Amino acid sequence: MNLFSVPSLLTMVHGLVLSGGAIVGLVVSLLALRWFAQPAGVAGAAHAGGGLSAVHADSGLVGARAGDRFAQVTTVTAVLLWLAVLGGTYLVFPLYREAPPEGVTALADYPRAMLMANPDTRWLHAFGMEVKEHVPWVAAMLTTATAFVARRHRHTVLADGRMRRVMASLLVISLALVSFVGLMGVFVNKVAPLD
Amino acid sequence: MTAAPKLERVPPTTAARGAARDAHDDGDGASMAAILAAGIGAAALGLLVLLSEAGIFSSPSLYGPAGGLSGRSTFAVIAWLVAWFLLHRAWRARSAPRWAFAWTLALVAFAVVATFPPVWSIFG
Repeated sequence: MNLFSVPSLLTMVHGLVLSGGAIVGLVVSLLALRWFAQPAGVAGAAHAGGGLSAVHADSGLVGARAGDRFAQVTTVTAVLLWLAVLGGTYLVFPLYREAPPEGVTALADYPRAMLMANPDTRWLHAFGMEVKEHVPWVAAMLTTATAFVARRHRHTVLADGRMRRVMASLLVISLALVSFVGLMGVFVNKVAPLD
Repeated sequence: MTAAPKLERVPPTTAARGAARDAHDDGDGASMAAILAAGIGAAALGLLVLLSEAGIFSSPSLYGPAGGLSGRSTFAVIAWLVAWFLLHRAWRARSAPRWAFAWTLALVAFAVVATFPPVWSIFG
């Protein structure tokens, strides 16, 4: 097994750096939604009062900074997720599904064929890999929508209870999908690694 | 006796101006357009997977080494972006209908079920 071959490095970047980074980003986004939540109206208070109170202006500024940070985290998460999805589909998946030449019986270099050849590991392709092919696209689209909302309303979103709940729902769904897919990836790579 | 806090007039901060822009902006129309479009894109992918597994419609392979996945995912992304564009144009200047988020969740649920391999056996 060659740990630093191109296929092995691609798999590590895809799974650990990009997908792992996206999972961390989703967790941080969810925590930020909770930690940086502002009371309703704080972000707009300074303007609503025509610039009335220095205290409210400070609160608004803190809310805006937190909103900016939240927008940055969700945007980076969406970018990582898209890089993981595109890299997985167009770089790693083709290496995984490459068919062995006629007559070849040593299948170590052909992960899909290797999984399918053994009844005990066939499910890893028929279930695990099939889920991995499609589900991450759903998470990427949902996370992009979250990042868009976070950026567009970065000055008010943390003070809007309803929108916070909507975004938290989308982030939880994305996190669940990406985590499950990551687990399937670990299983597949443990039994039939790309190297 | 404690003195009352002194209020002073300060110019609107950057944050306040941003908040005011957000408030006057568009309600939640543009945001919910993005969210519902993501649900539509996800459902499109789920539908393409189901149609493929049922043998009704197989998306062409747009990149040979990735097989049919390249076609299914590309068409789903196109559906997502077109839906986002149209919904954004329709809703950006107003509040979104209240059903938008519920529909998003339903579409995402459909997508997850449709891409769940055991479900494919129903279609043979």
